[in-house]
Amino acid sequence: MTLWARFRSWLRATMRRSRMESEMDVELRFHMEAYAEDLMRGGVPRSEALRRARIEFGGIERAKEECREARSANFVESLLQDIRFGFRMLRKSPGSTAAVVVALALGIGLNTTMFSFVNALLLRPPTLVQSPEQLLELWLRAHGTSGIESVLPLTFPDYIYYRDHNQSFSGLLAFDGDPEAVIWNRSGEGEVVHGQLVSGNFFSVLGINTPLGRPLLDEDDRVGSPRPAIVLGRSFWQRRLGSDSGVVGTNMMLNGTNFTVVGVVPAGFAGLLIAVEPDFWASLTVVEQITRDTGRLTNRQGHWLLTVGRLRSSVTAATARAEMTVLSHQIETDHPDTNKDLNADVYAATLVPGPYRGYVAAFTGLLMAVFGLLMVIACVNAASLLLARATSRAREMAIRSALGAARGRLIRQLLVESLLLAGLAGCAGTALAYWMAPLLMTLKPASLPLTLRVPLDWRVLLFTFLASLVTGILFGLTPALRVARAQVAPLLKDESQSVGYRKSRLRNALMIAEIATCVLLLIGASLCVRSLANANSIDPGFDTQHIAIATLDPGSLGYSATKVRTFYAQLSEHIHALPGVSAVSFVNHLPLGPAREKTTIVESRQPSSEQKNHGVPADVFRVAPGFFDSMAIPLLQGGDFTQKDNEQATKVTIINEVLAHQLSPNENPVGRRITMGADAESTEIVGVVKAGKYRTLGEDPIPVAYVPNLPGRRTLVVRAAGDPSLLLAEIRREIHIVDPNLAATDLETMRQYMSLPLFAARTTAVLLGACGILALVMTCIGLFGVISYVVSQRTHEIGVRVALGAGRHDVLKLVLRQGLTVASIGLTLGLAAALVVTRFLSSLLYGIRPNDPATLAGVSLGITSMVLLACYIPARRAMRVDPMIALRYE
Amino acid sequence: MDKQLDLLQGTLDMMILKAVSLGPLHGYGVLLRIQQISKDRLEIQQGSLYPALYRLEHQGWITSEWGESENKRKAKYYRLTAAGKRRLQTEAEKWNRMTDVIAGILGTKPEEV
Repeated sequence: MTLWARFRSWLRATMRRSRMESEMDVELRFHMEAYAEDLMRGGVPRSEALRRARIEFGGIERAKEECREARSANFVESLLQDIRFGFRMLRKSPGSTAAVVVALALGIGLNTTMFSFVNALLLRPPTLVQSPEQLLELWLRAHGTSGIESVLPLTFPDYIYYRDHNQSFSGLLAFDGDPEAVIWNRSGEGEVVHGQLVSGNFFSVLGINTPLGRPLLDEDDRVGSPRPAIVLGRSFWQRRLGSDSGVVGTNMMLNGTNFTVVGVVPAGFAGLLIAVEPDFWASLTVVEQITRDTGRLTNRQGHWLLTVGRLRSSVTAATARAEMTVLSHQIETDHPDTNKDLNADVYAATLVPGPYRGYVAAFTGLLMAVFGLLMVIACVNAASLLLARATSRAREMAIRSALGAARGRLIRQLLVESLLLAGLAGCAGTALAYWMAPLLMTLKPASLPLTLRVPLDWRVLLFTFLASLVTGILFGLTPALRVARAQVAPLLKDESQSVGYRKSRLRNALMIAEIATCVLLLIGASLCVRSLANANSIDPGFDTQHIAIATLDPGSLGYSATKVRTFYAQLSEHIHALPGVSAVSFVNHLPLGPAREKTTIVESRQPSSEQKNHGVPADVFRVAPGFFDSMAIPLLQGGDFTQKDNEQATKVTIINEVLAHQLSPNENPVGRRITMGADAESTEIVGVVKAGKYRTLGEDPIPVAYVPNLPGRRTLVVRAAGDPSLLLAEIRREIHIVDPNLAATDLETMRQYMSLPLFAARTTAVLLGACGILALVMTCIGLFGVISYVVSQRTHEIGVRVALGAGRHDVLKLVLRQGLTVASIGLTLGLAAALVVTRFLSSLLYGIRPNDPATLAGVSLGITSMVLLACYIPARRAMRVDPMIALRYE
Repeated sequence: MDKQLDLLQGTLDMMILKAVSLGPLHGYGVLLRIQQISKDRLEIQQGSLYPALYRLEHQGWITSEWGESENKRKAKYYRLTAAGKRRLQTEAEKWNRMTDVIAGILGTKPEEV
């Protein structure tokens, strides 16, 4: 009952405010006059009576304020009042307001951008999947190895076993983690499309309905179906097929096999794997038809299937894990030679597969921490500014306090102002993030068929909102509390505001914090930038500037070995004939890429009993003649493969220096015989080449052997006399001329290819470098602002000093001393923090230690000069002031 | 006049309700009446009277209407509502209980411990 009465009273009060005000005025005046009349009746003169009445009553404004508060009409009104007043105050000093808003907007914008990536990678569930929290990933863990290499996806026979024998899952699906690049024969022209092979229950377990046609079903998942089915991806259907609704039932020829289109997935669905948006989905059982990789479905050692299951409602993840472990032991018992020491493990199913989440989280966590530090600098700038402003408004606050404003109200007013600043910055920051996220995506190496969507969804917006709120409160609270605490009486007396310059410990602490953070960021940034420079200058052992490459797989179209050979021979001739081409060759896969082939080398002349122990592990590359010429890899001894070696697959090999040194350190290895892997025959060494980089740019020297026996899938290597990018279109044309059914994947220059191994170094250098520059600029502006303010506060004092005989240079020293004290403390703190923190960067750095002395010295010097500069200009202004004016300065 | 007794906010509310229960009054009248029925032993801070009146009205214990004072001037008169009457009763009972308890504690003789 009273709640309703209260609400009515509040409503009445809000709506008829002015009337309420005048009524209250009348009432209170009546009271005072009545009291005065009583006094007058007692003989007190009228004016005296009125005066005493007023004094007895106490502060009428205060009473009115409390009455208003009693009605609780106050809150919304006074808030609106505060907001209006806040805007006016901000407009009064547009320059500093703009500086603070810009700095905060940059901080919030960058943090929001980073968070939107974290959101897209780690927080968002797969789109359009029903109840994703019920899904668990199934992985195999190999004993005896550690780290990311110990976790494996499933083999096909393993998947079938788990699928048929489990009780925990209502459905267990599997899909190929690698996008399959296939050639789509569109009216005689070959075009590369990327698809994902999935089990028949993929769409039903995930609960995906196709608006057009039907999804893949279990019936489609049969080996040897005459017209296998595929489902198209939405964006592929829109882009390449013009959103044609009549596409259901049509044929598509992929890698020489006819497929029937049975449906199109709903917009937004892209599967379960981050950044992979397949153009089509096909059943797992067509894998042998598409890839010509026979035995993939029966191979117990090929681990290629990512497996996800939907938990039954009564089953927990722990129960499921236990059951999977039991099943894995059963498989181990049945197949001890292939499945030894392989245990099952489950993870919650997310876009980034479970075992990799830790690494992604660590990397993005590092970046978020870096941007967070930048935010700290922006906040410190804002706090210093507000502190300075609040001090100059102390008098205004004192008057308000005397008029009856409660302390809480004053604090609220100042907080509202800082929240307004933060709010403006938040809006600007969101706009910045919207623009910046696609910009960051350009750092991705172009050849990867990855599409990462980074939307600004509700999580990101909530993050921005909270970030703005927290920063607003953080930098607004201290000045607000400081001012509200000030003594009223001394401020109201007509004393000059600059009651001497007060050494503010808070202000100094803020400056120190800012300098320390700036030092930390600059050191991190310098290390990453120098590391990138080092990485760029690492010689990979081959020419990166004059080569164009393309990957071809004629075998995927079902060509015979002869047809493949003919194709490549013709292609080689055509490309050789192009102007500007100096050399053409082939390799099975390029170094520094994801593919790797390994073998063990033993010297043939050693007795076989020793061979097992002294085998040298080496990487293998299969190359055509002219490879070393095309890649500009110097041949140190012996000669290149001949065409005959290529055609007849003679057992010859060319090794690199490292392998040569390991096999025969003192003699020329050419002519010696070795045994590679499980070969029965021995192989003759015919040449030695210079060593380079093969797996990563930062690796130690690795032994490598090159052999002439090439598979059908090869990478074309073309050496250009001039700029290789000019050749790309021509190469594509020549491929088309020789065989229009074929299309190349990864047609790019070697420079573009090299962006993949350099990806981590480049990303950190760009991001941290930008951060470092921003930090430097913001710190400079912030310091300059604070020191100018402090110097202006001391103008009176400086005038006194000069009048008393201080020289100009004494004034300069005064200012500089203050600045340098703060700078040295900040610098020391920053360096100490850097020594501790940069250790985490060491895995990302090429050829530079985390505590590289040159970097530390350089940053120290830079910061000191920046502080000196920030001190010098205000000091010069102070030096030039006429002491007479300064003495009169208030 | 005896020394002023310290009045807590809750007791002030109770005093006002009691004063108004004896008949409709304007703000100054409430002040005078409390002084009167306390036999001049209690004087209210004038500044805290009106916020208390507004609060009580907001909570629904009293209601107000404009009328004419003795000297024909406009004044706002406060009246107790039915809810206010019940409230006064509950508060009075609570107060009596409280004073009983405290009197009991203070009157404890050494033998009773």
